[in-house]
Amino acid sequence: MPRSVTYDIVHETKYTYSEPVAVCLNQLRMRPQTRSPSVVCNQCTVTIEPVPAKVDTHPDYFGNVVDSFAIESHHESLVVKVASQVQVNAINPFESPNIPTVAEVVHAIRTGQTEADLFAKEYVFASPRIPLAGHFAEYAKTIVNEGSSILDAVLQLTKHIHDDFRYDSTATDVSTTTQSAFELKAGVCQDFSHVQIACLRSLGLPARYVSGYLRTLPPPGKPRLIGNDESHAWISVYAGEALGWIDFDPTNACQIGVDHIPVCVGRDYDDISPMRGIVLGGGHTTLAVKVDVAPVELPTEVGPPA
Amino acid sequence: MLLPTQIESKVNVPTPTATAHSNDLPSGSPPGLSLADYASMAERFDECRLPDGALRPCWKSIANEVTSLGKSGLNDRESQIEQLIRENGSTFQIDTGEGTQTRPWQLATVPIAIAEQDWNRLATGLAQRTRVLEAILADLLGPQRLIRERVLPPELLWDNPRFLRVYHNLPVSAGHRLHLVGFDVARASDGAWWVTGDRTRAPSGLGYLLENRIVHGRIFPHLSRTANVRRLASFFGSMRRHFRTLAPRQKDNPRVALLTPGHGSYRDFEDAYLARYLGYTLVQGRDLAVRGERLHLKTLGGLLPIEVLWRHVSDRKCDPLELDPHSTEGVTGLLRCKRGGELAVVNSIGTAIAEMPALIPFLPAAAKLLLGETLQLPSVATYWCGAEKERQYVLEHLDELVLRDAFAVSDTRPVMPVRCTAEEKDALVRRIKAQPNRFVGQHRLSHSVTPVWHGERFEPWHVSLRTFVLQTKNNIEVLPGALARVSPKEDLLSNSPTQGQLTQDCWIVSDKPVDHETTLLSNDDHTIVLRRSGAELPSRVAEHLFWLGRYVERCESIARLLRTTLARLVGEDELNDLPEMTRLVAALAAVGQLEPDYAIEGLDGAMPQLDSVLPSSVFDTANPRALQNSVASALHNATAVRDRISLDAYRIFQSIHADISGSRRPTTVNVSRAMERLNRLITHLMAFSGLTAESLTRTHGWRFVLLGRRLERADQTAELLLATMVRPVADEVGLCESILDATDSLMTYRSRYLSLVRPAPAIDLMVTDETNPRSLRFQLNDIQQLLSDLPTEPGRVALGADERLARELQHPLLIADVGTLTEVNASGNRVELQRLLELVQAKIPQLANAIAGRYLIHTAPEQTLTGDREQSLDESLMPPEATQR
Repeated sequence: MPRSVTYDIVHETKYTYSEPVAVCLNQLRMRPQTRSPSVVCNQCTVTIEPVPAKVDTHPDYFGNVVDSFAIESHHESLVVKVASQVQVNAINPFESPNIPTVAEVVHAIRTGQTEADLFAKEYVFASPRIPLAGHFAEYAKTIVNEGSSILDAVLQLTKHIHDDFRYDSTATDVSTTTQSAFELKAGVCQDFSHVQIACLRSLGLPARYVSGYLRTLPPPGKPRLIGNDESHAWISVYAGEALGWIDFDPTNACQIGVDHIPVCVGRDYDDISPMRGIVLGGGHTTLAVKVDVAPVELPTEVGPPA
Repeated sequence: MLLPTQIESKVNVPTPTATAHSNDLPSGSPPGLSLADYASMAERFDECRLPDGALRPCWKSIANEVTSLGKSGLNDRESQIEQLIRENGSTFQIDTGEGTQTRPWQLATVPIAIAEQDWNRLATGLAQRTRVLEAILADLLGPQRLIRERVLPPELLWDNPRFLRVYHNLPVSAGHRLHLVGFDVARASDGAWWVTGDRTRAPSGLGYLLENRIVHGRIFPHLSRTANVRRLASFFGSMRRHFRTLAPRQKDNPRVALLTPGHGSYRDFEDAYLARYLGYTLVQGRDLAVRGERLHLKTLGGLLPIEVLWRHVSDRKCDPLELDPHSTEGVTGLLRCKRGGELAVVNSIGTAIAEMPALIPFLPAAAKLLLGETLQLPSVATYWCGAEKERQYVLEHLDELVLRDAFAVSDTRPVMPVRCTAEEKDALVRRIKAQPNRFVGQHRLSHSVTPVWHGERFEPWHVSLRTFVLQTKNNIEVLPGALARVSPKEDLLSNSPTQGQLTQDCWIVSDKPVDHETTLLSNDDHTIVLRRSGAELPSRVAEHLFWLGRYVERCESIARLLRTTLARLVGEDELNDLPEMTRLVAALAAVGQLEPDYAIEGLDGAMPQLDSVLPSSVFDTANPRALQNSVASALHNATAVRDRISLDAYRIFQSIHADISGSRRPTTVNVSRAMERLNRLITHLMAFSGLTAESLTRTHGWRFVLLGRRLERADQTAELLLATMVRPVADEVGLCESILDATDSLMTYRSRYLSLVRPAPAIDLMVTDETNPRSLRFQLNDIQQLLSDLPTEPGRVALGADERLARELQHPLLIADVGTLTEVNASGNRVELQRLLELVQAKIPQLANAIAGRYLIHTAPEQTLTGDREQSLDESLMPPEATQR
């Protein structure tokens, strides 16, 4: 595994309206943030077409950067293009000397041992999209052993959810609740992540939702297809003050390495939906999204011949 | 965590013996009524009498008044108050369990008096409490030291569904978040003041308090002037000045808008009242739009900027973009205006979290940490169940406590376990154990008693005060008075003020004369730039005014036709000898007042029933086209624009409504009763026309009322003539007279043609005479003129659709010839008249739609744009998308 990869990412969202839109107001949560030491955002540019009079940015409660803009003249399409360069550094928390057990983290949170523990506690409670119900805990308890290391335990849970749940983009939609995704045992990354967060919180472990991108590798011998990547979501768990927040991907049954590029964190999807807006008029709306995640330093297999 | 210490000490005051004491009553006062005679209540502080039974000095003037008025005088005042409140239209919504109902506001005959020294102690405590809550908000929505230093359990914020993270770090106007706050206070048995609840979002009751004072000032004009009662006017003056200083620009005369949740809210009456009193624009979410990062009022003349928004809408409903996406009460983009510093919002968005009951036990420690002060006023003992010891205490003492939502004060009623069945109690215990963070238990506080005139005697009722505090840049001002709520049942006072108890005016009585500063209804010291524009009419208001005009006209024309017909029923002639009867019945059927069966010719047997059928159709409540329904709709529209029409005009509609379907509806219904009510109705409606003509400025508001009337009159007249004049009856004299009477044109006719009645001049008067305000031509001429006076988009050259339609109707009427209209063809019909009338009938609804489309429906449908999954967004007024896989 390379120690560090830098990516050029282009995320283009295009709305086309059947009828003109008189006014729209929008908020974007699409700017990758530096989260040292694992993520460094070198640059990020947001381009909007038609050009709004003004774009404001402000940090939200979770430290994400929000772009707000309005377009107040008639328009029939809206294009938002976010181009960023992000460096992802490999960190392997499993190599850390003192990994706490699940029980130790739960205790630290319950008692608010340190200030970091106290503020991590915010993420053990129910959030708008993620209720805490008994059966999440029941499910999680069959997998997670209180005495084992927090990282091993969460990785176990990540793998179990991957195995027990079916990836199916037709099974759920925008508004599917965590509850029904859990009952269906199916869904997309958003559902997988919500379910895992619900399980972790039910055990007393703080967990957050992470939005971002996943680099996709082309089939062997084929060129990388531009614009064929997708945005993605996974989870982050609090592993005690020393380790902090560690990310896992239930959709791909793994701990996060250099292939994942995080953008925003929040309690659940509702806190960080990449784009939300209200339009006046517009009729029927068609949406087209293109994501391109291109490594700046090419992967090792095209490096100099051995 | 420590148990809260403010458990109320029960001080036992010896029960005063209920005997007469020497009071300083005027000598020679009638032996009868004295305030000193009312039976006090053991173990409760008596607001009116000292423990030894003597009257408290601050009650002296009231006691004297009571004695001099006597029983009959008090009863008389009681009914005067009821009448005044009814006339002002003061109502409140009450939740009956089967939906909400509107009831008249209730004000007690005699006020409660509190001595100024006593009050000042409370006021100092309330001012401090305001600063404490302000500091808590600044901390929780900022650095959160209270959590870091473990003064507050973090659950209070982080497990609190009311704490929307967007509230955090929003910019603040004038350096603070709280501007107007309310506190509920009660007096314990030892006379000490206790706070039972904080209201930091948008405290209700200020409008009712104001009205109580104004009503009492009218009922006891002499008393309130001589009793050294502290005035309220300066508080409202300060409030107005403060709101003005908050404006980011135009500080000399900024537009301040009061954002009300909309029709059917418990705020309805109060908000309209306050807006009118303070001179603020009353707005709803759909009146507003954010453009160019500023908040605007949508009006007929375009967008007008708003500088200060006094919002009575929940925090989370203020902006569907960033807060609750389902809300229609707020406006998209409000928070962005706020962040850009382009708008002041009172109170700041997010202030609701400071009123959560779970905060109460932690206030003393928070005051220490943040201000280094000792909290002066005790609060009702409150146990937050999220802490183990407190939860244990609550579960063991359920019957002594009231259980509340820990995080919200407004939407859930408190539960009183002592009143619950065993099963209900078990369920409650299970809920507490499942979600302990969501509950607090509170001790039931004892409330002082005050004399209330009820059932012809004074009874000791419990009292709770809603007080108000204004925080300005450098000052905190406590309103010298309160909205007092009284109830014979102490427990009911733990409900919110909008749940229907009797209220009292609350007098703070000084022992020296008070300043006669500004009086309550006077205006501010401020000079106003003279203006004549009327374009700032919100489109929503224009719509209500338009419909008000239509319904008023519909009422009038139906009432006139009914009266004309009824008059013939009581005449000397046999009905079958009156050839016009069949036509009148057909007309009544055409406008929905009679079953269509009656209009079928040859059913002679139907006629005799008219004297029972017609009167009951006047009061019919089942038929949707009945008169009563138009009256109700007129009242509904008048209510919706209550802040825009005069009180006199509003009273007219209340009175009409009471006569026909409300409280004064007659018990027996017969022809003479119906005639009497119709006469009164028509007189009232003429009074409204007079008010419209004489008291409304010729602004767009007036134009919309008139447009509604003209359209409706054209429609009704065409309908009437179609049913009566198209197929002439054998002898048309009686018919023509009736129709002229029903269109209020008979007098004009007589003055022109004396008693010679012929169809041609009658048709001229009702159709083509442009000088008769009842003719069709007059209506269309006027409509065309009114439409051309309404604002057009700048640069527009062509006629609008509404203007085109109006002319399409106006022209045939202009060129119509009476001779041709009167001609009867071979099959016995006036075909030309029929063609013209049918044209009017077909075009009027189109014209009404065109006007609505151009001016009234200002809001295109909004939709929520969300993320990346391809979807039809029409159905997606729901939270965002699934971007990711």
